[in-house]
Amino acid sequence: MTAALTLTDLAVHYPARNGLPVRAVDGVSLHVAPGETLGLVGESGCGKSTIARAVVGLQAATRGSVVVDGTEIVGADRQTLHRARARMQMVFQDPATSLNPRMTVGEAVGEPLLVRSLVRGGALREQVGMLLAEVGLPPEHAARYPHQFSGGQRQRIVIARALALRPALLVCDEPVSALDVSVRAQILNLLVTLQRSHAMATLFVSHDLAVVRHVCDRIAVMYLGRLVELAPRDALFAAPRHPYTRALLLAVPEPDPVRQRAKPRVLLVGEIPSPAYPPPGCRFHTRCPMARPVCAIEEPAWRQAGESGVACHFADEVSPSSHYQSEASAP
Amino acid sequence: MRRLPVSIVVLLGVLLAFGIAALLAPWIVPHDPLRQSLLLRLKPPGTVDPRQGLFALGTDDLGRDLLSRILYGARASFAVAILSVAVSLAVGVSLGLAAGWFRSWTATIAMRLVDTMLSIPAILLAVLTVAVIGPGFLDLVLVLGLTRWPRYTRVAYASTLQVASMPFIQASEMAGAGAVRLLSRHVLPNIAGPLLVVATSEFGLMILFEAGLSFLGLGIQPPAPSWGSILSAGRQYVERAWWLTVFPGIGLFALVVCVNLLGDLLRDQLDPRSARR
Amino acid sequence: MTRSFTGPALEVEDLVLSIGGAPVVDGIGFAVQPGEVLALVGESGCGKSLTAQAAIRLLPGAVERQRGRILLDGDDLYAMRERDVRRLRGRRISMIFQEPQAALDPLSTVGAQVAEATGLRGRAARDAVLAMLTEVGISDPARRIAQYPFELSGGMAQRVMIATALIARPAILIADEPTTALDVTIQAQILQLLRRLAAERGTAILLITHDMGVVADIADRVAVMYAGRIAETGRVDRVFAAPAHPYTALLLAALPRLTDVPKSELAVIAGQVPLPQHFSPACRFADRCPLVGERCRAERPPLADRGDGQLSACWHADHVGSIAA
Repeated sequence: MTAALTLTDLAVHYPARNGLPVRAVDGVSLHVAPGETLGLVGESGCGKSTIARAVVGLQAATRGSVVVDGTEIVGADRQTLHRARARMQMVFQDPATSLNPRMTVGEAVGEPLLVRSLVRGGALREQVGMLLAEVGLPPEHAARYPHQFSGGQRQRIVIARALALRPALLVCDEPVSALDVSVRAQILNLLVTLQRSHAMATLFVSHDLAVVRHVCDRIAVMYLGRLVELAPRDALFAAPRHPYTRALLLAVPEPDPVRQRAKPRVLLVGEIPSPAYPPPGCRFHTRCPMARPVCAIEEPAWRQAGESGVACHFADEVSPSSHYQSEASAP
Repeated sequence: MRRLPVSIVVLLGVLLAFGIAALLAPWIVPHDPLRQSLLLRLKPPGTVDPRQGLFALGTDDLGRDLLSRILYGARASFAVAILSVAVSLAVGVSLGLAAGWFRSWTATIAMRLVDTMLSIPAILLAVLTVAVIGPGFLDLVLVLGLTRWPRYTRVAYASTLQVASMPFIQASEMAGAGAVRLLSRHVLPNIAGPLLVVATSEFGLMILFEAGLSFLGLGIQPPAPSWGSILSAGRQYVERAWWLTVFPGIGLFALVVCVNLLGDLLRDQLDPRSARR
Repeated sequence: MTRSFTGPALEVEDLVLSIGGAPVVDGIGFAVQPGEVLALVGESGCGKSLTAQAAIRLLPGAVERQRGRILLDGDDLYAMRERDVRRLRGRRISMIFQEPQAALDPLSTVGAQVAEATGLRGRAARDAVLAMLTEVGISDPARRIAQYPFELSGGMAQRVMIATALIARPAILIADEPTTALDVTIQAQILQLLRRLAAERGTAILLITHDMGVVADIADRVAVMYAGRIAETGRVDRVFAAPAHPYTALLLAALPRLTDVPKSELAVIAGQVPLPQHFSPACRFADRCPLVGERCRAERPPLADRGDGQLSACWHADHVGSIAA
């Protein structure tokens, strides 16, 4: 079975003004199977947004390979990229700037079809109507302009546009972060529904672990340009194997005062280092509560065990956080 | 799409009135603007001649009807202003758009060109152009068109940079849109706002420049009427025939004030809209 | 600094703020006791930020205070002259904001900015600043004092803002979305810092946020705002365990939790937050409420006592428990 997306040793380095390259992404390998949703989580400087842009070809890669539905994106010529882009689409964070304010919503949603000369005229209008209905908006609203819609509705329009070409891969970069809580729920419900009906692969980038847990099947955790852990959702939340994953999970404030205040505190020390100056050895060692001398010298290798993988010298010693047992896994 | 406030509509109406008057000049002038009459020299406003009729605003030093000359002069002003703004827009926006879209060398060269052009005084260029092609309508349009484009380039450049970084441009790029479509359907409509504001104020300025250059003898040449040349000729008669300077002056003032106010209102109209989310 | 006043550090009484005639904050009232953390929570457009700005008398020009009093340690802020209020800011009442980098003067060193809040000079100022920077968890404070804001990370800058805000030992600190722009591990540190400082110094904290998780983490009491009014208020453990207003219940049910069944359907609140021009004089949540009845559209429900300090503005507060949780 061909993966919808395969990253092999992907690296993206930006040349910085003082000569030192910013190693935003530094050797990441992962894959997303068709129909699966992979969550990519991490904090500032981890490189997740850079990966999202590199996957769709908006960012040039310095090294490595990105294969989308069988086509290599890195170093691809314009024609190949153009064809590949029909198989993948992106949903951005800010609905306010994701739509051309001078274009009707119908024109925006239909643009992918129009530009590739796939449909025209009446058939195009019909398709656009269907797409809008699929995301829960009345087809008659196609003649309206973006400013006439709310933030949540605009995000739906953006999703409708992304679905127009029936892509094999959907890349979502913080799709709900800019929305209010009550609106977020609507969009998340929509995404889960679409997952089931479209069977497309999704790369879901977010900093919000609760959201990621809600829509993803597997989760990849990044820190300063590297993958530190990758595991199926339930395994990750029930028993994180990397100290950073554990700290991240415990840091997410839960809307439940009893549970929240009973949590053991693993407050990490210090600030997140800049991607321009990653610490030597294991990049996390400067903040790790379990750091030992070897961590400052040697980078931990990736150890795969079944479906899970982790990069830590002492992964076996990370105490499982039984804090997040959920009774059932996703249907 | 959006309703314009009353003030803008009113100003547009006034501008349109001027424009229509200018356009219909050949048909609505009471007299032939070029017809001279030694007997009717320097007659005050309201003079009625038994054979030729009413001279509503008086006559000039060659006995020509001032009102008719002013109406024809309006034609010249509008024509020069519209054409020169068109030339400047075409040149300036293209350069600015290219600079903002392709950046790197294109932007560097474009901006250095802009700096160079802005450091050359317009008067100097006007004199040079006159020396080369000779004075007149064409010379005016060329001089004005080719000296004012940098202002559009700067605005177009800044706006293009801003718009080009927006996610919706990237989204269209990902949908498969090529550079042509991106620039024409996505960038241009979104930079039109600020450019319109610049064009409006430039229009007013071009009216003034035309008057100024014609006043100096570098623009529209006599006997063709132009507000500038009328003013110039009227200089010597300020005490004896005040109407020769006052009426064209009022016309000039009214038109430019109207245009500038419109420009300000447009800017306000567009700004909070783009700032509002 | 010993307090002679025994009432709340900050009390807001019947505050009404309007923009262009339309009231955007419509009769808000609450009190924050010394050492207590009161969270003012709501979604965008509910008026919580404006309330915070009113509390420190820094309302933007377009906003008018039509009615209401703000009492700081018993003193009416709006009855004073502007220059007296200015003396109080940073000393008896402080505020920290969402974007620390935007709130710090880029041309002034860290030391200078923190010292400004003390009113001291020279050696005394420097010592006070060093002590405060250490207390907010900034390592190597002697070096940081000479740094400029652009040299600081987000978390560090926020700590500097907190230092500036608390160095003069104000009675109350207003924190407007202090951790929204920070990474989650840094957020955890900052929230713990705020909680600790409040407890140690007896500073009251008015915490403005949209994040229920943050509320659950450090707030003692919470006031839930909707469309310019308080829908519900009470102790955090009570409001979260047994909300007495449909909006609170739905808001809590709409959040994806780490204990949910993954991919399960999240509760959705039908409709949208109304715009201030369309605020109804009766219950403003009526159009979106699953419990809506005749009375809701006709009469504005008052904040009624549900017992144990919990107040709710709903005609059907007894039935909130039946809403999907």
